Amino acid sequence: MPEATLRSLSDPGRAGPASRLSRLAPVHWLALAFLAAALGFAAVAWATGNGFYLRLATEALIFAGLAMSVDLLLGYTGLLSLGQALYFGLGAYVSALVLRDVAPSFWLAMAAALLAGGVAGLIGGVIANRVKGVYFALITFGLAQVAAKSVYNTRALGASDGLIGIPQVSIGFGPFSLDTADPLSFFLLVLGLTVAAYAGLAYLMDAPFGRTLAAIRANEKRVPFLGFNAWRYKLAVYVLAACVAALAGALYPMLRGFVSPELMFFETSGNAVITVIVGGVGTLVGPVVGSLLLTALRSVVGSWTEHHLIVVGVIFMLSVIFLRKGLVGALLARLGRRSEQGRATP
Amino acid sequence: MTKTTLLGTAALVLLGLGGVASAAEPIRIGVVTPLSGTYAPIGQQVRWGLELATKEVNAAGGILGRQVELLFEDEEANPAVATQKAEKLFQVNKVDFLTGTVNSGSTLAVGQLAERNGRLIATTVSFSDAITTDKCSPNVFRVNARAGQQSAALAEWLAKDKPKAKVYYLGPDYEMGRSTVAAFKEAAEKTGAQSTGEVFAPLGSKDYSQYFGQLRAARPSVLYTSTAGNDTVRLLTQMSEYGLLRNLTIVGASGTVTAQNIGAIGKAADGFVTGVGYSAELATPENKAFVAAFRKAYDTAPDLYGADSYGLIGFFKAAVEKAGSTDTDTLRKAMEGLSWSTPQGTKTMRAGDHQAIQDMYAVRIAADGGGNRFDVVGTVPGDAAIGPDQCTRF
Repeated sequence: MPEATLRSLSDPGRAGPASRLSRLAPVHWLALAFLAAALGFAAVAWATGNGFYLRLATEALIFAGLAMSVDLLLGYTGLLSLGQALYFGLGAYVSALVLRDVAPSFWLAMAAALLAGGVAGLIGGVIANRVKGVYFALITFGLAQVAAKSVYNTRALGASDGLIGIPQVSIGFGPFSLDTADPLSFFLLVLGLTVAAYAGLAYLMDAPFGRTLAAIRANEKRVPFLGFNAWRYKLAVYVLAACVAALAGALYPMLRGFVSPELMFFETSGNAVITVIVGGVGTLVGPVVGSLLLTALRSVVGSWTEHHLIVVGVIFMLSVIFLRKGLVGALLARLGRRSEQGRATP
Repeated sequence: MTKTTLLGTAALVLLGLGGVASAAEPIRIGVVTPLSGTYAPIGQQVRWGLELATKEVNAAGGILGRQVELLFEDEEANPAVATQKAEKLFQVNKVDFLTGTVNSGSTLAVGQLAERNGRLIATTVSFSDAITTDKCSPNVFRVNARAGQQSAALAEWLAKDKPKAKVYYLGPDYEMGRSTVAAFKEAAEKTGAQSTGEVFAPLGSKDYSQYFGQLRAARPSVLYTSTAGNDTVRLLTQMSEYGLLRNLTIVGASGTVTAQNIGAIGKAADGFVTGVGYSAELATPENKAFVAAFRKAYDTAPDLYGADSYGLIGFFKAAVEKAGSTDTDTLRKAMEGLSWSTPQGTKTMRAGDHQAIQDMYAVRIAADGGGNRFDVVGTVPGDAAIGPDQCTRF
């Protein structure tokens, strides 16, 4: 009984046993469709020589990584983090320092960011998980503010000016290599990493680990009765989210060549939460779709009027009121209804 | 879109053969400046200054017979946004030049982007010394005075007006506040001032009276402060309530008392002196004409940012006409060492670090009753305020 409850909780889009092909949950179909669209976009952008849009899409995917880490906490575990930019910014600064001062090595930068994200996540997680609900949100917010202000006032880290001069690097994969300066290669690399992160996290969320998180979200008090230590799981997912955010952040200086304390500010954390809610909470693909959509929208509307923040705000409110499960959630609900109808009349 | 671009390119090539294309095509200048948020008032002045100058240039036949077109994007005072917008202007809108960045971090990041895109940029607002010293870039020019020039000008005036002054320093406790105090202290000590002590109050302090004991015990004749915004309002009004403003000259950074907070400070701002690159009260015919045109167009007086941005278009026009094209390398050559006239007087772009040399002014606030004026009480020649060239990259 609890096993079944957990299973149904873990994935709202789960359709139950059917033929081999439709075993793949609708949400994964959406992810595949998104991947195809992204590859199509890359081909078109490459053919027309549009480096700007490729790089804009790369940035959107990088921020999608941050949004995914928020979704792990908010969508799967029910923890609202208002300070996820702390780990994103940490990854960005660590990667920038490694690339600039140690060695221009992609793998070293990613490894260092992962390590830093894990350690910081462990410390932050122990502090934040002492409390629940709105206090958890406030503590995460406070931690990020403390970190951002410290960086803002540390001359060795460039203080308010940030760090520039992060070199563009060549990434080696055995005999192959690609250059972050080339918009298409770097876009494909980041797309690959995003897909890998999605697949890995989606698998994990479907595994017993994810089901336990879903149980915590549903009713944390009953989790110990099932024999699980909720605190440990919450800490683990917090560290996992920190690592995902740090890895996403590590890619930022490779794309833009600089880091600045604004990457850790509340604006970055808040945007990630908005992205998740507009895209679809608890779907993992929703944050990616949301990030691409909002980045494109900001870029287009921002050139049009200086009141772009109002436009984004209105979209956020509309999606909260009318699309309670976000864009992806609404799409899934439609797909779900259609597939049920299909099954009813074979 | 691709089709029209293709057609457009074909048309350009055809016209280009006849040598008419460049005359018809406008010169595009991208402007990435804060249009929303806290810094929007600065962005507004930048926009007005640039638009007024562009209107005048276009009415007089443009540059090399080409009209000038400005394309605005919102910087949001965030380098991450500024680089994205600047890249769009460079690669999609194909602008010939870019300006407007306010946040010093944005100027540095966009400068690096300009290098990677082979274009030139100029800032008219950012005053962080790093932009034209240790983080200088061959593709970045600064037409406004940097922080070092402002404190050098103020120190010069202090040495002349109050020789061997005993100075006390009160700054906000964060990196910029501390470095501003340190820079002025160094400049003032060089010109003979005596330091009697310093104290740093947290940003956003509500109560400054706890520092007044130390301040009085040090018996200074001059107080230097680098607070900004509402902190200055509280500091100066509380000092006035405690009667500390008598027999004490208050001097400070250029951002300490501005058009935004002077109303709230009221009479306590009277007598405050700062070193700055511009005042609307400058009594030159060029400036009077500029202020009149600005007032007529926008119904308000220009400030430092408006004047520097207005002057930038003159700089760009003079450089393009000297170079004969907007090609990056020839334009850079033309800009280096260029002298051009602005409402603030003649400016010269130093070739070694791309920092404009200009006359600096000591400005005293006269807050007598209704209208506040920024009276010019001293002029420091450009060469005395500029300081050595510390750029080693080019």
